[in-house]
Amino acid sequence: MSGPAFRDAASSDEPVVAIDSLHTRFGAQVVHEGLDLRVRRGELVALVGGSGSGKSVLLREIIGLHRPSEGRVRLLGTDVWSAPQDELEAARRRIGVLFQDGALFSSLDVAGNVATPMREYGRIPQPMIGPLVRLRISMAGLPPEAATKMPAELSGGMRKRAGIARALALEPEVLFLDEPTSGLDPVTARELDALLASLNRDLGITIVLVTHDIDTILTITQRMIVLRDGRIAADGAPAELARSDDEWIRGWFDGRRMAPPLPRSASDGA
Amino acid sequence: MSSSAVCRYEQTDAGSRLRLSGVWRLSTLAELHDSLLGCLPQSGIGAPVVVDGSALEEIDTSGALALWQRLESAGAEPNEVELAGFGDAQRATLDLVRARLDEVIGSRAVGRLALDAPAVDPLRMVGEGAVSLWRLVVGNVEWLGRVVTALAQTVLLPQRLRPRELFAQLSQVCVAAIPVVALVSFLIGLVVAYLLGLQATQYGANIFVVDGVALGLAREFSPLIVAVILAGRSGSAFAAQLGTMNITEEIDAIRTLGLSVEQVLVVPRVLALVVAMPLLVFVGDVVGLLGAMTIADHMLDIGPGQFLERLRYALAPRHLVIGLVKAPVFAFAIALIGCRMGMTVSRDARSIGRNTTSTVVQAIVLVIVLDALFAVLLQALGL
Repeated sequence: MSGPAFRDAASSDEPVVAIDSLHTRFGAQVVHEGLDLRVRRGELVALVGGSGSGKSVLLREIIGLHRPSEGRVRLLGTDVWSAPQDELEAARRRIGVLFQDGALFSSLDVAGNVATPMREYGRIPQPMIGPLVRLRISMAGLPPEAATKMPAELSGGMRKRAGIARALALEPEVLFLDEPTSGLDPVTARELDALLASLNRDLGITIVLVTHDIDTILTITQRMIVLRDGRIAADGAPAELARSDDEWIRGWFDGRRMAPPLPRSASDGA
Repeated sequence: MSSSAVCRYEQTDAGSRLRLSGVWRLSTLAELHDSLLGCLPQSGIGAPVVVDGSALEEIDTSGALALWQRLESAGAEPNEVELAGFGDAQRATLDLVRARLDEVIGSRAVGRLALDAPAVDPLRMVGEGAVSLWRLVVGNVEWLGRVVTALAQTVLLPQRLRPRELFAQLSQVCVAAIPVVALVSFLIGLVVAYLLGLQATQYGANIFVVDGVALGLAREFSPLIVAVILAGRSGSAFAAQLGTMNITEEIDAIRTLGLSVEQVLVVPRVLALVVAMPLLVFVGDVVGLLGAMTIADHMLDIGPGQFLERLRYALAPRHLVIGLVKAPVFAFAIALIGCRMGMTVSRDARSIGRNTTSTVVQAIVLVIVLDALFAVLLQALGL
């Protein structure tokens, strides 16, 4: 049963994502080496790390697109890599994913993209689909006119928003985003940050995002998980990590020339 | 556990009150929809409207939308509806949806959603089809001009030719194609000889099977079969290669380096195919005859020696030459279309697949049209 009863009974304390001693290897190249991670309900978490540190691979392993070499991944209580197919599909219906370039279905317009998961779900009365599609489009911050546009006609930012609208289609409990702000101008990127923060705050959606964007991390995330050498090198609030002893982690923050003042000195605040 | 969505409605002199209970979620949307339809009046709901959520367990944006939509259709003004007894999160969800009603079901919900299959208008389809066919033909002729110009430049300035690319393409389209050409030609030779043999044995004219197979293969079958194989194998590959390069901006990069795309990418492919195809047709001729020879030995009592002897009389060199002359013309057509379809790939992902398919269809049709022209021409020349 994947109905609401199941969700209410099982959920609140159980981590949304639970990873135990995860190993990932590509041939001789080791990407993850005994990685453990918990994401709790309601968090807004950023996965960060250098290029090739396996952030995106980790995301793909969580949502069941890439099989890890060893270890266990649980998503909303479902063991992603050993659960039967229908159980995995039920878990997947409770998540939303935004791929890097939106991954919109290029043969469908935006409304068609958003309607696809609703139609597949099969429990939505036909007359409700149109209004629900428009609601998702509006929630993702797209103008109503965007509904009838084809993906090829959209700008980068709109494409991401359309991807978010589709990810929101079935009221997900968790949203996974791969580089939501990459390739966007700073204004659009900050708008997108605000959108994610409000989805997390107003609707209680747990958000896990992979990002390089230090502004996103500083402005909206409560928790920053740094991947390095196949393990989690640091895990904590961004403001805390900015005061880390580790020079490499501090480099993420020091790299910013025109940074707004960071709450970095421990002495004056607490 | 009460997970069904319920609402109760009461109207008093002081206004209307709607009590919600149960779970108002996407998963219960169907019953929610019915329950709402039944519990509220069709219109003329008495203001002021109060919605009481004290018994409500859960509500998400889908449930909220169903509620607002129904309230509005019953004649309530959503912005004047009072919410009572809701939790903070529930109220936030309801307000989030209420703020967007204008865009969702109201005056700003513009544009017809093409969620249902669009109406088919035959006249419009015919018109669009004709225009796009015309554009295709014009585009192909224009492209023919550009490629011929580039080829002429290559002839005048041979140092512009890229031998490496040419030989890489030759190995792709010629050497690598030999096994499939041989296999298909062998089977065609075998089948044609078999079918002719079935008829010929009835008249005791076994030996004329050799004439029929040899003429048929050399003049028609071999060039056509090889053309179909190359259209599917090399024409589509050209379209896919150039199309991918187009999408990944490699072609733009070549242009900005001051190089001519036609010289660098198109001329080697066209030349490679034009050189390769006569060779492959010759392979097809030989292997096809081998196939015929095999079946002739078993079925028609014509041994290999006798077969070859008859072949010397039956197959005049001009038949072979006609087949080999057709080959480069067909090859030019296939390469031309493959390259053009690759260059006209647009920036969306569907385009490569569409253009690749279109390449094969266009190339095969064009080859058959050219073959028909050849037939008429050769007839007129008495060959």
